[in-house]
Amino acid sequence: MAIIVNLDVMMAKRKISSGELAEKIGITPANLSILKNQKAKAVRFSTLNDICKALECQPGDILEYQED
Amino acid sequence: MDSKYNDSVIRWTKIATIIFILLVVAADCTGPIITRFVTVVWADRLDTPAFVMMTVLFYVGTLFGYVVLFSVFKLLDNMSKDIVFDRANTKLMRYIVIGLISAGLVCAIAGYIWISMLYLTVVAFFMALIVLSVKIVFDKAITMKEDLDLTI
Repeated sequence: MAIIVNLDVMMAKRKISSGELAEKIGITPANLSILKNQKAKAVRFSTLNDICKALECQPGDILEYQED
Repeated sequence: MDSKYNDSVIRWTKIATIIFILLVVAADCTGPIITRFVTVVWADRLDTPAFVMMTVLFYVGTLFGYVVLFSVFKLLDNMSKDIVFDRANTKLMRYIVIGLISAGLVCAIAGYIWISMLYLTVVAFFMALIVLSVKIVFDKAITMKEDLDLTI
């Protein structure tokens, strides 16, 4: 996929664990894993909003477009 | 209310499927009598090759009948377990379509002995067309569900 999710990079920068982030944004660790492992087909604006709020970052810090 | 109604429909349809399976078993047990009657009385053919061919086609046809009926039963069983938009169900629908088309072809061959068997061919092909259409709808719904499941 051309859209890369850099969630693990931001999580490392903020020193936050998967379980902690999942609890903060109100999704299951399994769903967070799907997102981290580039398996997700779509991301809801509400989820993106919660992630940005929890990690204090911009959507562009999490999502990146790469040429195939 | 709707759920109770659907459960009731599924339960009765499963019972009807079991009755149909038992009817096919009974037909298999009395196969030569049925084929003799069809060949001699309805088709007005008194030759042995016609009787033998009709008997062979009858048993091949009932074989496909079992495939269709057992697939329908398994499909209804999945529905009763709330397994609806699943690849297993579209696989069962594919078996039903293949079974119906094959049964239709058997009836078409039997039409050589008794022309009225061609009506059954048309009915079988039409039923296959309907099941195939439902299968396509299910395939699309499953793809949509998979997309939705991977929306975080």
